[in-house]
Amino acid sequence: MAEKTVRLKIKRQLNADSSPFWEEFEIPYGPSMNVISCLVAIQENPVTRSGKKTTAVAWECSCLEEVCGACTMIINGKVRQACSALVDNIDQPIVLEPMTKFPVVRDLVVDRQRMFDNLKKVQAWVPVDGSFDMGPGPKLKESERAVHYELSKCMTCGCCLEVCPQFEKDNDFMGAQIISQVRLFNFHPTGAALKEDRLHSVMGKGGVAECGNAQNCVEACPKEIPLTTSIAEVGRQVTLQVMKDWFLK
Amino acid sequence: MSDKRIVVIGGGLAGLMTTIRICEEGLPVDLVSFVPVKRSHSVCAQGGINAALDMQGKGDSPWEHFDDTVYGGDFLANQGPAKRMCEKAPEIVHMLDRMGLMFNRTPEGQLDVRAFGGAKQKRTAFAGATTGQQMIYALDEQVRRFEAAGQVKKWIGYDFQELIVDDTKTVRGVVVMNMNTMKLETLPATAVVIATGGPGYIYGKSTNSFINTGSVATACYLQGAKYANGEFIQIHPTAIPGSDKDRLMSESARGEGGRMWTYKDGKPWYFLEEMFPAYGNLVPRDIATRTIYDICINQGLGLDGENKVFLDLSFKDPDELDRKLGGIMEIYEKFVGDDPRKVPMKVFPSVHYSMGGMWVDAETDMTNINGLYAAGEVNYQYHGANRLGANSLLSCIYDGFVTGPAAVKYANEVKPASDYDALAEKFLGQSEKLFEQIYAMDGDENARKLHQEMAKWMTERMTVVRHNDKLEELEKKLVELRERWNHIGIADHSKVLNQEAIYVKDLQRMMELARVLTVSALHRNESRGAHYKPEFPNRDDENFLKTTIATVSEDGPKISYEEVDTSLIKPRARNYAVDKHATETEGEDK
Amino acid sequence: METVKDNSFFYRRLHSLLGIIPLGLFILEHFFTNSFAIHGATVFNEKIDFFATLPYLIVIELVFIFIPLLIHGIYGLYIVYTGQANQLQYGYYRNWMYLIQRVTGVILLFYIGWHVWTTRLSALLYGKEVSFEMMHKMLASPLVFWWMVVGVVCVAFHFANGIWSFSIVWGITIGPKAQKRMGYITMGLFVILAIVGVKALLAF
Repeated sequence: MAEKTVRLKIKRQLNADSSPFWEEFEIPYGPSMNVISCLVAIQENPVTRSGKKTTAVAWECSCLEEVCGACTMIINGKVRQACSALVDNIDQPIVLEPMTKFPVVRDLVVDRQRMFDNLKKVQAWVPVDGSFDMGPGPKLKESERAVHYELSKCMTCGCCLEVCPQFEKDNDFMGAQIISQVRLFNFHPTGAALKEDRLHSVMGKGGVAECGNAQNCVEACPKEIPLTTSIAEVGRQVTLQVMKDWFLK
Repeated sequence: MSDKRIVVIGGGLAGLMTTIRICEEGLPVDLVSFVPVKRSHSVCAQGGINAALDMQGKGDSPWEHFDDTVYGGDFLANQGPAKRMCEKAPEIVHMLDRMGLMFNRTPEGQLDVRAFGGAKQKRTAFAGATTGQQMIYALDEQVRRFEAAGQVKKWIGYDFQELIVDDTKTVRGVVVMNMNTMKLETLPATAVVIATGGPGYIYGKSTNSFINTGSVATACYLQGAKYANGEFIQIHPTAIPGSDKDRLMSESARGEGGRMWTYKDGKPWYFLEEMFPAYGNLVPRDIATRTIYDICINQGLGLDGENKVFLDLSFKDPDELDRKLGGIMEIYEKFVGDDPRKVPMKVFPSVHYSMGGMWVDAETDMTNINGLYAAGEVNYQYHGANRLGANSLLSCIYDGFVTGPAAVKYANEVKPASDYDALAEKFLGQSEKLFEQIYAMDGDENARKLHQEMAKWMTERMTVVRHNDKLEELEKKLVELRERWNHIGIADHSKVLNQEAIYVKDLQRMMELARVLTVSALHRNESRGAHYKPEFPNRDDENFLKTTIATVSEDGPKISYEEVDTSLIKPRARNYAVDKHATETEGEDK
Repeated sequence: METVKDNSFFYRRLHSLLGIIPLGLFILEHFFTNSFAIHGATVFNEKIDFFATLPYLIVIELVFIFIPLLIHGIYGLYIVYTGQANQLQYGYYRNWMYLIQRVTGVILLFYIGWHVWTTRLSALLYGKEVSFEMMHKMLASPLVFWWMVVGVVCVAFHFANGIWSFSIVWGITIGPKAQKRMGYITMGLFVILAIVGVKALLAF
């Protein structure tokens, strides 16, 4: 019997400006393989299916446990993390492509800096006075804590933005990731000190109003963060803020 | 603003905390990280962070925590720093809480705590089973504040190459590489902090990420920094073996009541509970690991003849499991396919953490190179011969509190380099030469295959059980592999994110470090904590109650020793079958 | 923190609000009034006369119908332009609804333009009388009939599904359960409106 193999078709790109091309690979199968171990196998032996020598495919990874978000890519047409994509559960040839909403650096590696920059715009932090000893933090109700813990599991992977029909490579929309962080920090008793500023940020260009309610984000989020609830909640906060701005100022 | 700048290498917990402390003390920071900081390996920490907050009124105290840490570390930890860390722990947890970390709460809204290995008190604060991730996010957010204010400049996607050190053995900067363009650059620095974590990738599959090569620490070692206690590698008892890496199943699973068992004579055998009645499933990791290893390898009692035992939570309330251990429940489900709320998990030990690391001064975390600091897993402080679960997150943060202010104080006092530009030029040229060499490699050796060979040898001989003859063979093998490295051929000559070239550079360093660990182990003829030699089954305080120091030399690592600070707690026998205080009188008799 | 100040937020919210008030209310009124056709020409023409004789009619029409329609329509077209459909890759239910909302919106721009021209502007400009008979004549052509059925169904959907989005945009339905419930209600409204609208068409 011929040895079992795994077939992959990978969209490659040598640098930011060159045009993409496809390469196919066939590698030996092993138990409990995931897409990461396929890519490692290609690193070991960078030869295409037709026997042509090539270079290893570049990709990003870190934790390999689906908590860091690094290895996000499009696998068989859907955006997800490569580490949790088990070969036994997906169709072959496994088609790998870089995310489409971020500029490609090389092969499967994209530059997601925009997501981190947006976190700055909405001041996604708790404005503590400092790290010195100031006693315990605020008491929180466990039920509320549990809800917001879910929000704080966002690993900035970009799945929600990749699937969003309103988020484009060259527009300003900040997307579900940011809106959900606004909700998280507005909830926190100390974080709420910056609530108005944050709401004004998402009332600007690229803010919450640009959401088209396609709700793909919540379907695509690998951490099952209730992103659409966050969007609606921030929508409510913004509505109230508008009233405040109109009638109280 | 002053022209003094501190370079921090590594954006994990230790790097971020150090950055925050430096900024608070008023100096600007260049934060260099291989990956966006939110993707650092610290995200993999699951169970929690220890602090004797005594949230349950059972008389816990920082001293108890300290005593557990020292006892758990088999008395090899320097007691001064360990004590200060435990004393600072409650304050650290409060600080994280103030920063918005979503710690689990009690019904009253107070911090919830759970049990962890090697401790009788519940003192581990936690955020589900993704505490490391939550912690790094909390610190990342604070650093982003400083970044927005212009006090931090992040160098993301930059790979550390080497230190710029002058004749007075004082660090003056670093050489880094922009991985996207493969261009080498120099960053001037008044002080440099290394916070790059552990070297698990040496072993191929471990619970560590691929980015945990130990490459930066090795580079410093090769430039003269001392490496301490390298032989102490923690093997975590409960991981799920995978095709790319082994995934950690947190000790908190046992902290929340999880039981370990296998079949013996057709019946479930709760081996830890039977063998260690005092601590049961919550014995320290070295002990649990050796027990599982013995059961599977020597007694052949692994499940279905394979090297696996059960970690069982299936009898617990599924809602509570989701609330307190959601993160690991998800990992097991996604990567194994079974629901751990319904069936017991199958686990086996895996390489997890390095207690050893760069030697640092007990008061300031400064290495033996002036102005070079090391914080977090990359240094050797606090954990001795075995680290207690949930003490690593603590030590990362605590190191930030030590290193940050110390580095600022140093930076404010040190005299500037006499001719920095020439010095930087020299080191830049050196790094460029290395990459020219790598780009020109056209031999027959495959870098990945060399790594696999090294990993196999290291995993077989430098993990749970160590024999001197096998270690000697291993050292020879490592020398051979290091020589074969010169004959690697590379396929990728691109100047854009050339991961192959970077990997080949790191591989060389991993090989050097593997040799440090092996030689350190070879010289320690006793059994202590994670270091176990059947030929020398007992702890030998008379000869080996001391820190191993490896220094680079032409013929490989040179080993010397340094006294351990045992000024506060007198070493006593370590026996987890009974209460930790039960051996106190025994100790007197010795 | 610097954020680019622009008016997109205002326009978006205005667009959303106008869709319900006054346009949605007008649609309800319009469908209801037209349903008088069920009772025959006399009753229907009476109602038409009632509206035709409203004081300040032009102002009411301009402020409450035409201007909102123009703003909603033109800005809506811009919104359509800012999106990029991806239903084939991500064929989730809500993603399809997102697309249908936009497609019906574009159809309606043409439909309402035509409808306003034939039944209101031409009357205003050329003094044509709008009446049951006129509608009857128009709808005798199958092409016009089916075109109007399309228009009525589109408007019913666009309005009903618009209420669903409106409730999220303004923060009325927050959680997934509430949004789902609103989804059932609005789709029920769609069906009812579509039936009422088509029945009125059949009556002419």
